[in-house]
This record gives sequence, C-alpha cells and structure tokens, in this order.
Amino acid sequence: MRFNIIKYPIILLALILLQKSFISVIALSKLNITPDIVLIAVIYIGIKEGKIGGSVYGFFAGLLLDILSGSFVGLLALAYTVSGFVAGFFKTEGDRFLSKYNFLLVTFICSLISCFLYYGLYSQGTSTGFADVMLLYVFTSATYTTLISMVILVIPKRKTLERGFTD
Amino acid sequence: MKRIGLVILDLKEYIILTVLIIFSLYFIFSNDNSQIRFLRAVAIGTFGTVQSGLTAIPNVFELQQENKLLRETNIKLANEISNLKESKLENIRLTKLLNFREENKLSFVSGRIVNKSLVQTRNTITINAGEADSVFINMPVVTVEGLAGRIVSTGRNYSIANILYNKDMRITVKSQRTRIDGILMYDGLQNLIMTNVLKSADLTAGDLIITSEYSNLFPPGIPVGTVTETGNLDNLFKKVVITPAVNFQTLEEVFILKHLPDKDRADLENSYQKKK
Repeated sequence: MRFNIIKYPIILLALILLQKSFISVIALSKLNITPDIVLIAVIYIGIKEGKIGGSVYGFFAGLLLDILSGSFVGLLALAYTVSGFVAGFFKTEGDRFLSKYNFLLVTFICSLISCFLYYGLYSQGTSTGFADVMLLYVFTSATYTTLISMVILVIPKRKTLERGFTD
Repeated sequence: MKRIGLVILDLKEYIILTVLIIFSLYFIFSNDNSQIRFLRAVAIGTFGTVQSGLTAIPNVFELQQENKLLRETNIKLANEISNLKESKLENIRLTKLLNFREENKLSFVSGRIVNKSLVQTRNTITINAGEADSVFINMPVVTVEGLAGRIVSTGRNYSIANILYNKDMRITVKSQRTRIDGILMYDGLQNLIMTNVLKSADLTAGDLIITSEYSNLFPPGIPVGTVTETGNLDNLFKKVVITPAVNFQTLEEVFILKHLPDKDRADLENSYQKKK
C-alpha cells in the first residue's frame, strides 16, 4: 500500500504529461476527440483501491489537468472524482474486473460518466444540442478511451509472469 | 457517540466523495466563463421558481404582521393623500390669486380670513392684515371672483370687513349690459337685493352686476354678482335678486384694494346733503 502511494502519483503524473503532450497526435476528426489515458489510470486505481482511492486520485489528477489546461478549473476534477468513485464499486477479491474484457466494460461505463459530466457541463450555454453532445462527444470519447484501454489487457500481469517462470 | 463514529466510518467513502465534489464545484463556480454564467442564471431561475412556489404557502403569523404593516402604511398614505389634496387646492387658489394680482392695476394687500360670520344680519370677516400692512377703514375687499365687502375696523395686524351679506352695506351698482343703476343691499334674510330699479328697466336673469362709478367707496367695474330673479316690488319698482359673484361659504383669501374714497368729493357731497 505504501508503495502504491508513491507509485500511483508517479504513474498519474507521467500519464498527465503524456496526455498534455502527445495524445493530440492520435486525435480523431476535426472535433479533436482524444482518448483519456489519465482516466483509464484513475479507473484502474478505483478498481484496485476502492471508492476512496479512486475518487481521491481522480480529484487530484483532474485538478492538475484543469490547472495545466488553464480553463474551466474543477470540471475534470469533478468528472474524474465521480468516475473514480464509480470504478471503486467494481473492486472485488482477486481483481475480477481488472481482467480481460471486464475492465473494458468498467472503463466504458466510467468513461461515459466522466464524458457526460465533462461535456454536459462544458456545453452549457452553447448552441450545441444535448443529442449532438451525446453522440459527437460523449459516446465517441468514451468509446475511444475504452479502445485505448485495451492496451492494459496486453500488459502481462505479475502472476502470469511468475507462473511462466515457475513452469 | 460511538454509534455516530461508526456511522461516519460506514459512510466515510460518501463523505469523502461529497467533500471532493464540493471542492470541484467550488473550483468550477470560481470560473467566470459563458458556461458558468449560464449555469448561474439557470440556478437563480430555478431557485426563484422554487422560492415563489414556497411563498404561495400562507404563513399566518407573517400575514398578521404584514396586515398590521399594511394598515399602518395605509393610514400614512391616506394622510399624505389628504395633505396633497389640500396642497393642490391651495395651489389652485393661489394660482388664481397670482393671476388676479398680475391682471389688477390697483395695488392691494392680500390677507387670509381668520374668522367669519355668515348667519347673522350683520355678517363680517376678520382678515390677518391690518394698519401695519396699510389697511384702513373703507378700503374695498375683493376676491378673484368679485367684490366681497368693505373694511370697517382696523387693528395693527388684523382688520374686520362687512361682507355683502350685511345690512349696513349699501353699494351703488349697475348692470354691465344695460347700464341700469341701483343700490345693492342685504335683506337680512338670505338675499341680496338691487333696489331703486324701475319696473320698465331692462334687467333679466344672468345680467352681470358691477360696481358703479357713482360710488365713492368702490372703484367702478368690479363684478358684484348676477341677476337670478326679477319681479315686481310695487307699482313703481322692480325686485331684483342678485347672487353674489363671491362664494362666502368657501372664501379663504381676499385682497384689500388700496383705494380710499375721494375726500374732496365726499366732503362736497356731505356738505351739500347737510344744506339740504
């Protein structure tokens, strides 16, 4: 656990830098839809550490991203806090939701919530309608983030590696 | 206490979530962009709607208090309206007086009636202008409408005038239309009568009666009243009833004309009368 307190912030910081620096390279369409790799990490932490861990790390990661982006401070903090908290509901013995396609499902649900909160509030007072926001931004971003989260599935787990060495 | 602690421990995840959401919202509403302005407007609108819905529920104690307050306000406003009406009427009267002052060539003193009698045979008014204001006996008292009376007694600051409804008043008058002369007097009951009018004289109801130049007491041409009734007094003279131009019931302000009888003329006429 102590190791995690150091590990998670470092991973989050690294992902935040990556998100702010290079992620625009893989942006989709002229709407500039990008995957949210920081959110994937927050969801992972939520599943791993529970509701408190997910919401606290989500809050600080979101706030840092808000500060770095310089506009609408607090919006990503709110979205990540709620997403991390919801991810915490999927914490189980044996990390069942971190395995295989369960993680993709949780990521999609939490991304939908996060994107809904973010774009829902961001589009207030603009001429973009609710259906457009949902279709063009919320579903697209959530789907893209879920697809990118598949990377986690190909990262070999410690247990698998240990099993491999003993075999 | 322990139980409360346990409840807090059970709810710690939700408490932390709530705190973090509150912080997030605090940061969000610290921004000043179009989205937040829109959300603020929506929040204010929603809050206003809810509040207006709640105010529809009557609160008996507040209603009592409000009623009391409204009654007090009502009384205050009624007083104010009364004062305003009084001011308006005074304004109308004073405007008329001002116009009269500008139109009249004779110099005069204005005065307010401080006392009056109307139901006796010798009715008078007391005016708050006296010798200190250059008011002297025999000066005519007029209003915007016409002749009111004549000063009969003066003090330093007050004076008393006989009004037309006084049996001692004798005024030489004439019809403006036909120039028929007569003497106006009060019959002691309720009428002003124009006497010495021959039966054949052309006087009809509505004719304006003015002061005559034969009078040494009053300047000529001041309206006195109108003819309201004509009939036969006897075989020789007409009975002509006059309604005065001045409404003595509502009279409040008057002017005292600085006009005194011509002394030479008065002396000559008096000496001639004595010789006779």
